[in-house]
Amino acid sequence: MSDSSPTPLIVDTSVLIAVTRTDPGVINLMQIYDSRGQPLVIPALAITGASLDAHSEDADELLAGLEMLEAVTVAPLNGARQAARVARIMDGTGLAAWDAHVAAVAAAAKCPVLTLDPARWQKAARVFDPPLQVVEIADPDDG
Amino acid sequence: MSDKKARITVTIDPHLTAYAEGLVATGKAPSVSAVINDALQEKAEHDHRARRAWDAAAAKSDPEKGARMAAHVDRQLARL
Repeated sequence: MSDSSPTPLIVDTSVLIAVTRTDPGVINLMQIYDSRGQPLVIPALAITGASLDAHSEDADELLAGLEMLEAVTVAPLNGARQAARVARIMDGTGLAAWDAHVAAVAAAAKCPVLTLDPARWQKAARVFDPPLQVVEIADPDDG
Repeated sequence: MSDKKARITVTIDPHLTAYAEGLVATGKAPSVSAVINDALQEKAEHDHRARRAWDAAAAKSDPEKGARMAAHVDRQLARL
């Protein structure tokens, strides 16, 4: 990628759940991206999924804190057409609503999905034409 | 930053203007300005709580692990 502005990464629910659990590596990765000016797009329903998983006000504050980073933009679910598009993606991929919104944003923006759980995306990514690009967060030292 | 209140011009949605005027008319707020001031104060406090929560988590983050994760992602992005 030679473009001076980095391609935005679309953050999926697994990453946000790691944030709510204060995963030290993932939190630091978000800091690295913020300091690099790497755009991160967080679909609004992915926040809903992470909040539902965490069920805590502390987690919601952390998600709100993540949203305040300069590199982060929250993508809203805007209007009936986008909501219906998410429903069709759920139907076609078996993804939960949260990640169906992630898929919708990634497909529309032609940007990679950033995930801790690439297996979740293996089949779903191929439903799209072109297939979604999926980038895995992992620590190679974890073996 | 001066403690003196500043006079500014803002544009507000009609239903919110009506709500603020309703609070004043029913004696729940001394002025529309006070309603706006309170709302902004509440937002500022909310944002500060969120930032504190993030800063506390960031203080306990693992820079070495984060760097390894970033390098792993970078290698994948370079292949796209």
